[in-house]
Amino acid sequence: MATARPVVSIYNFENPSEKTGTMPMPVVLQSPLRPDLVREVHRDMAKNKRQAYAVKPKAGYDTAAASWCTGRAVARIPRAPGGGTHRAGQAAFGNQARGGGMFNPTTVWRRWHRRVNVTKKRHAVACALAASALPPLVMARGHKINQVAELPLVVSDGIQSLTKTKQAKETLKKLGCGEELQKVIDSKSIRAGQGKARNRRYVKRLGPLVIYNEDNGITRAMRNIPGVECAHVDRLNLLRLAPGGSFGRFVIFTEGAFKKLSDIYGTLKSGAPKKKGYTLPRAAMVNADLSRIINSTEVQSVLRPKMERYTHGIKRNALKSKELMEELNPGSTERKAVQQKASQKGTPEFDAVQKKKKARIEESKKYNKEHKKGDETFYKTLMKAFEAKAAADAAKKAAEKADDEEDEE
Amino acid sequence: MAERYAISKVNVPEGAAVPELVKMKMEKEEKLAEEKKQALAAKQKAREEERAKLKERTVAYEKEYADTAAELVKLRREAKLNGNFFVEPEAKLIFVVRIAGIMKMSPKPRKVLQLLRLKQLHNGVFLKVNKPILNMLKLVQPYVTYGYPSLKTVRELIYKRGFGKVSKQRIPLSSNDIISDALGKHGIHGMEDIIHEIYTVGPNFKQVSNFLWPFKLSSPKGGFVNKRHGYCEARGGDWGNREELINELLGRMN
Repeated sequence: MATARPVVSIYNFENPSEKTGTMPMPVVLQSPLRPDLVREVHRDMAKNKRQAYAVKPKAGYDTAAASWCTGRAVARIPRAPGGGTHRAGQAAFGNQARGGGMFNPTTVWRRWHRRVNVTKKRHAVACALAASALPPLVMARGHKINQVAELPLVVSDGIQSLTKTKQAKETLKKLGCGEELQKVIDSKSIRAGQGKARNRRYVKRLGPLVIYNEDNGITRAMRNIPGVECAHVDRLNLLRLAPGGSFGRFVIFTEGAFKKLSDIYGTLKSGAPKKKGYTLPRAAMVNADLSRIINSTEVQSVLRPKMERYTHGIKRNALKSKELMEELNPGSTERKAVQQKASQKGTPEFDAVQKKKKARIEESKKYNKEHKKGDETFYKTLMKAFEAKAAADAAKKAAEKADDEEDEE
Repeated sequence: MAERYAISKVNVPEGAAVPELVKMKMEKEEKLAEEKKQALAAKQKAREEERAKLKERTVAYEKEYADTAAELVKLRREAKLNGNFFVEPEAKLIFVVRIAGIMKMSPKPRKVLQLLRLKQLHNGVFLKVNKPILNMLKLVQPYVTYGYPSLKTVRELIYKRGFGKVSKQRIPLSSNDIISDALGKHGIHGMEDIIHEIYTVGPNFKQVSNFLWPFKLSSPKGGFVNKRHGYCEARGGDWGNREELINELLGRMN
């Protein structure tokens, strides 16, 4: 965030309703929020405290079993040798056999631990600290902070010298953590699952994490309060700042610890004095308000305006639709109307057509009279050929008849 | 372009405080709406002018068609009168229809059909008659039927089944604007211009014919005679050049 650093009030540990001073917020608490990073680092870090488990190496294979092979009317699975006991001849070795080994036996050389890059771990811690300074995130994680005056909650250094649990409890209650502590007490229940039989009988919620600078008794005082944990500011643990991978733990800082955060982590420009070669994480976007960016004049002024989409609708057939034909062929309806008129009796167009027709027929008649005279008419020329043939046929017939008569005689 | 601005209405409840971004948006939209109004008015005016010009051109084209037809009649009569033979003008335009399916096509005819844009059964394209085209048709004779379309056929094909290629998409010719935008630089602004260019095989025939997406025709009502044989064979067939008789077929396929 490029805004000026807010100021955090420090509360008097004896009388938490009054403030003993103010302090500017350390830059760590303004780191960008990266739930994905915290989740990933937590996942890997949490694997590091695991203890190995596995089945015995020889589990299921501590027999001299051998297959009886074929021809003995039994399945080919290896069978225990010998005699005189039920065990003899029983199946062995396979995961399907009773008393056999498991499929893919678990091994102790499974890769139990994960290494995480140092910078990644540091970034995750910075992120988790930043989340603990935001009320909505802390509430989302499930902490009851309605009565707490301010987040981050910074208490004067006197709290570090508390030795009695009773006093510590009262102080916390006065700071507004009463509801939170009660929540932890109410949440104690028997664990679901086999863990209850493995010395992990009870589960309860987590309460506030008190981060101190100098332990003058505070750890012992807070130790027995259910849910409360203490941490030294030099040795902050992600597994405690973001339990289960979800950031936003309710954190109470002492004045000294809060001041030391700036000494440890420094600023974006200076780097971290106490962590060699490390600078706090930077946000991917300085201004993450997308709608403001998109709608800013700088962006809008170089965009072209939004356009309507081309819609072509359903294709219509102009040969059937008169309006479409007029649209595509301007003047077509007019011309068509004129054409129609020419076939209606009584209209001037009709008369004009008839006149032309008459004139054409007159012309034709005149031409024929002039040019097609005598033997040049169509009929005469046609009949000429026919007549010639008819005469030839008649002559042939007469010749035949004459021959017949001759033969008869 | 301004006539296509998408102006969104911003509803502001009466008396409510208007957020800054909403205010900025409203001002912007107002300015764009103003530009759009002017652009639309200018477009309307241009459209009216174009339509008037197109009307004149159409009348001229109709006269041209009638005149060329009448000229041919005159020449035929003159020849008969003088006892001469009138040599009919060779066809300039052919319409090719793909008859064969896509299965089991030899590579060479397959490629030629692709080049002619006949990629599907019953696809049709207009082609100019020249030596290269005739040679290509020789290669694909058994897979196509073609002939010389009449003006009526050309008109009906383009009006009923005319689609244009606009930014590689097959867009129906539902408005002269589409034609004007694509072919305006060749002086073709409407349907009648396209028909004239195609029928008379003008100087921009290639551009117009390429603009027209290959015609997707129906199968002929009444069927083919026999696609396995050539049209000109005595036993009856369909492929090859059927000259004027393509119009009868297209009348059944369109």
